[in-house]
Amino acid sequence: MSRPRTATQRSKGKLLADTMSLAPRLPRLSREGAQALIGALAAVVLWELAARWLAGSYLLAGPVDVIRYLQANSGLMGRALAITLENAAWGFLAGNLAAVLLALVVALAPRSQPVVAAFALVVFCLPLVATGPILRVLYGPGPGPQITLAALAVYYTTFIPLMVGLRAAPASWFDLMRVYGRGAWTAFVQVRLMAALPYLLAGLQIAAPAAFLGAMVGEFTGAERGMGVLALRAMRSLDVEATWALATVAAAVAILAYGALGWLARKLTSARPEVLLAPPPATAVTGRAGRALRSAGLAALTIMLMLALWWGLMEAFGLNRFFAKRPDDIWTFLVTAPNAADNRAILWEASAQTLSYVLPGYVAGLGLGALLAMALVLAPGIAGAVLPVAVALRSVPIVTTAPLIVLALGRGAAGTITIVAVMIFFPALVACLQGLRQAPGQVLDVMATYGAGRMTRLIHARLPAMLPAFFAAARMSVPAAVLAVTVAEWLATGTGLGNLMALTASTSNYNLLWSAVVLVALGSAAGYALAGAVERRVLARVAPEQLQ
Amino acid sequence: MAEKSAKRGPAITCTGLAKTFGAGPAAVAAVAPLDLTFAAGEMTALVGPSGCGKSTVLRMVAGLEAPSAGEITLEGAAPSRLQAAGELAMAFQDASLLPWRTVRGNVALALKLARKPVDIAAVDAMIARVGLAGFEGARPAELSGGMRQRAAIARCLVTQPRVLLLDEPFGAVDELTRARLNTDLPALWRAQGTTSLLVTHSVREAVALADRIIVFSSRPAQIVADLRVPEALSPDTPEGRALMDQVTEALSQGWEDVPASDRHAAQ
Repeated sequence: MSRPRTATQRSKGKLLADTMSLAPRLPRLSREGAQALIGALAAVVLWELAARWLAGSYLLAGPVDVIRYLQANSGLMGRALAITLENAAWGFLAGNLAAVLLALVVALAPRSQPVVAAFALVVFCLPLVATGPILRVLYGPGPGPQITLAALAVYYTTFIPLMVGLRAAPASWFDLMRVYGRGAWTAFVQVRLMAALPYLLAGLQIAAPAAFLGAMVGEFTGAERGMGVLALRAMRSLDVEATWALATVAAAVAILAYGALGWLARKLTSARPEVLLAPPPATAVTGRAGRALRSAGLAALTIMLMLALWWGLMEAFGLNRFFAKRPDDIWTFLVTAPNAADNRAILWEASAQTLSYVLPGYVAGLGLGALLAMALVLAPGIAGAVLPVAVALRSVPIVTTAPLIVLALGRGAAGTITIVAVMIFFPALVACLQGLRQAPGQVLDVMATYGAGRMTRLIHARLPAMLPAFFAAARMSVPAAVLAVTVAEWLATGTGLGNLMALTASTSNYNLLWSAVVLVALGSAAGYALAGAVERRVLARVAPEQLQ
Repeated sequence: MAEKSAKRGPAITCTGLAKTFGAGPAAVAAVAPLDLTFAAGEMTALVGPSGCGKSTVLRMVAGLEAPSAGEITLEGAAPSRLQAAGELAMAFQDASLLPWRTVRGNVALALKLARKPVDIAAVDAMIARVGLAGFEGARPAELSGGMRQRAAIARCLVTQPRVLLLDEPFGAVDELTRARLNTDLPALWRAQGTTSLLVTHSVREAVALADRIIVFSSRPAQIVADLRVPEALSPDTPEGRALMDQVTEALSQGWEDVPASDRHAAQ
């Protein structure tokens, strides 16, 4: 109930601002801009100071070193950047087209939603670390794997908000169409498409940095040119300045792309969805036996369809069974073969290692993000400076952060856990800050009339408003955490499933590689579903209107 | 737009009209079998407790909800016939303007949906008649609640519908604005000679606007009173106040007819 009311309040505020002169709006805008600028400057200064302090330890190259390096190597960097940008752009296009098509399928045939959404999730959870080498074998040389990985990295974060957006219109808009005797097609064109536009743009904004990440990971897998190739080379030769310079360029591209699409979205649409994370999918955990049974049936149907699609694709393209394994190969490898028990043991051992990194990192990243968000609400002056920096850092790809953290913390558990935590920290912080800002004005006003302090308001008004955003971040962070841990294990620690996949790809042990892929994809999809189930239970208490 | 006082609207006949939501033990009877006729060209106000099913009656007349039993005919035709001919219009509790269209775009959309020629001059004239001249290019988010409801009314009237259905259109508007809208707008739809139904919570609004007031009981909706409003009766005259008392009396009677155990549910 609070949503439409706050919208009215906001529009009344805007009306008021419009009726006054332009003058009072100008300083407000520049104040926000100034805060963002101060935040950015503070970040750069802190970076330079840290670099000076750690000078000689071969850990950190400061902004000055980075600029010098870029000046000296501008030609090389420029060429690599152009190639990676081109691959990322094609992947961005292909992935988002796929997302739009999937969302249209769901919009036109709503009953297909659980199956399509589950399928999309499992494909999204395929570990880049393994799909990269497999795609390299399938495509051979050329930009194929880079583009495909970029597409795989973006389509899910566009598909989910778009699917929500296509359903997001109030019922009376559809009634309006029907009163004039118009059917589903008119409603689709006049209402659904337009209502979905802000959601699509929000998805595209997240997709832009993700496409760059996908293209770079693709280049790790045996490309000849591009940012990924340079990054791998710099990391192997412990070239601190090159590593930091590449990370800076990649981060700048990601931030610019994110900012540009955000600017475009503001130009194109008047209203933007407040929280970019989509509401959770329906799950079986609702108590009723009948619904649980139906969900189990749907899950079985989804798994069957995915196995059929997997097998069908391999057969349709006539792919060699040596590297393109079919479901029955994996079954044989893990269940019926004489050494199946040994094979399973290898997988369990690697999984246990991976879990020991990913769980602490996941919990730490989420917890620290939420805590910092709450601390910032208690000190609102700093929040204006921190939020833009956090939004920017959220879009920095894992492949650029991982080498930096490895340089600083080494190749042990601490470094890997930190990589996972950092990858989750920024999205969690941004989501929680957005959630804290959603606290209904009336409730805050009630608190104010009793003279409640900041702490009381935080606990009783803002925290409940933050929970939906926090749990949405927790859910979306599951695949991100798995991606982060597998990349870190591959690049740094040499343990766990990430390393197992990289190793088996290079030794052509494709049975073990495909088994690990299936395990990782199903594991993260299950983790996502579990987080979604917890989220739904919490939402049922604090924000029942978000559950359809 | 020519002033017409001819009764262009059809008579609306409800026969044995009933609506039940859900099935089995969880079924809720929203409307008990009703027999009702709304005369051509008249405005009838439907009042009753919250959740009594009066909006459901309106939605069935609009063809948005199928009756569980009985039927609705508009001069012998089903609601869908009038829908398809673009002769129906409905105003919703929230103005339901499309936020990405301007006021002009929202009003013009109704003509397009009703398959009528989009005449921008007529659109702007209608916007001016509801008092929004100068706001043609504004988007809904830039308007106040009362202005949005005016835009929604302009959208309803621009197609010159023969049947006008108003579902608490001023429910979210403050009392003063509501009083202004109530004095400004009726002349517009009276001029078009439509058959109109108005669902409202405000007894005063019903007396001010309608030719006839039907008072419903708590769910399932049954008729408690069926009162005629003398022509040009102002709620501020002694006669007007007497009628308002009569409607209020009927409302509380309809409330008391419900067993105490059900009253909470009806709220």
